[in-house]
Amino acid sequence: MSKGPHDMGGEAAGPIDTVDHGMKFWEKQANALRNTLTSRRVIRLDELRRAAEDLGPRYYELEYFQRTTEALRRVLIEHGHFTEAELTAKMAEVRRRYDPA
Amino acid sequence: MTLPSAYTEAPARRFNVGERVRVKLAFPPGHRRTPVYVRGKSGVVERVCGAFANPEELAYGFDGNPKRVLYRVRFRQRELWSDYAGSESDHLELEIYEHWLEAA
Amino acid sequence: MKHHDHDHSRDRSFDDGPPSEHEIMSRAMQELLEAKGVITAEQLRRRMEQFDAEFPQRGARVIAHAWVDADFRQRLLVDGKRACAEWGIDLEADRLIAVENTPRLHNVIVCTLCSCYPRALLGMPPTWYKSENYRRRVVREPRAVLREFGTVIPEEVEVRVHDSNADMRYVVVPMRPAGTDGWSEERLASIITRDALVGVTVPDAKR
Repeated sequence: MSKGPHDMGGEAAGPIDTVDHGMKFWEKQANALRNTLTSRRVIRLDELRRAAEDLGPRYYELEYFQRTTEALRRVLIEHGHFTEAELTAKMAEVRRRYDPA
Repeated sequence: MTLPSAYTEAPARRFNVGERVRVKLAFPPGHRRTPVYVRGKSGVVERVCGAFANPEELAYGFDGNPKRVLYRVRFRQRELWSDYAGSESDHLELEIYEHWLEAA
Repeated sequence: MKHHDHDHSRDRSFDDGPPSEHEIMSRAMQELLEAKGVITAEQLRRRMEQFDAEFPQRGARVIAHAWVDADFRQRLLVDGKRACAEWGIDLEADRLIAVENTPRLHNVIVCTLCSCYPRALLGMPPTWYKSENYRRRVVREPRAVLREFGTVIPEEVEVRVHDSNADMRYVVVPMRPAGTDGWSEERLASIITRDALVGVTVPDAKR
């Protein structure tokens, strides 16, 4: 039987934290990026959902915006918007910018 | 209660409002928008939402054609969960694509 | 301070501490896509503004109007997207189904499969809406979940859960509380909380 990690309706679980903890600033930026790409039809929301579901057990280990960021990476690479190598190089550049040491 | 709203036309369809339907009891791999908890369960068509690109195709980069008719189906909570603790009159509604439904 | 260009879509001076790997990944993707002309910094900046300032204000205004204008309320229930468009509110890709609370019916909304939510009407969903425990439990034990939000629904009132699992988005039209006669739409809107529009609470005139 195939049931993805996302398909959790009806499972037993503990209490709900009913406080809204808001969003970090980078999460707002990540949300704007994701939303701009889907609303401009660069990629489809359905693809992002599928890529998140394919994370398997990792799905539960990641916070919401970590999960969506990894899904976005996968779909953008599938579409050829950049390669794995380009992204790795750009991430190294960004990392250096914020941590020159 | 009549619910006339349909967002897009779906004249060619298998089911109408008020008909009893059953969600297929199947577990195909891949991206599906039919939660496992309703599979194999019976309910009543609450409204016809219209025809929409098939998300099972969109999810893999295809165009989603042919479009699929989307229904909202109303389930009795007692039929979904044998141990349901709420009221007899409680319900749950969700959206199911036609290819996941069969006549009940 | 790094505020020299006022372009918040490229700024990170608002978060404390060093950036996480996911933040670095997200920023790197953004910069690659901008460099390749797929999107522009201006589009992202505008999107952030809408999510911060515009979208979260819309839902309460629409529902307050539905409370005072019965014809509008009817149009909202028939076709939520079109009714919002009358107000110049463009819900973009979202098709909206408004579900009405009555003395005999209480509605509550979830997306068990991900976190579908009428973002262009309500802004970003709160943390709990995206939480695994809410997604797991509210379909199966809605009354217990509502009690955790301080909302007790009498046994004789139906609780109806809407799992927002495909192409529709949902908003609850709560009942206008007693003690609000003669209130302006603006004042009514002030007691219509996001949580009430998802259905985990009900508006309170004494709030």
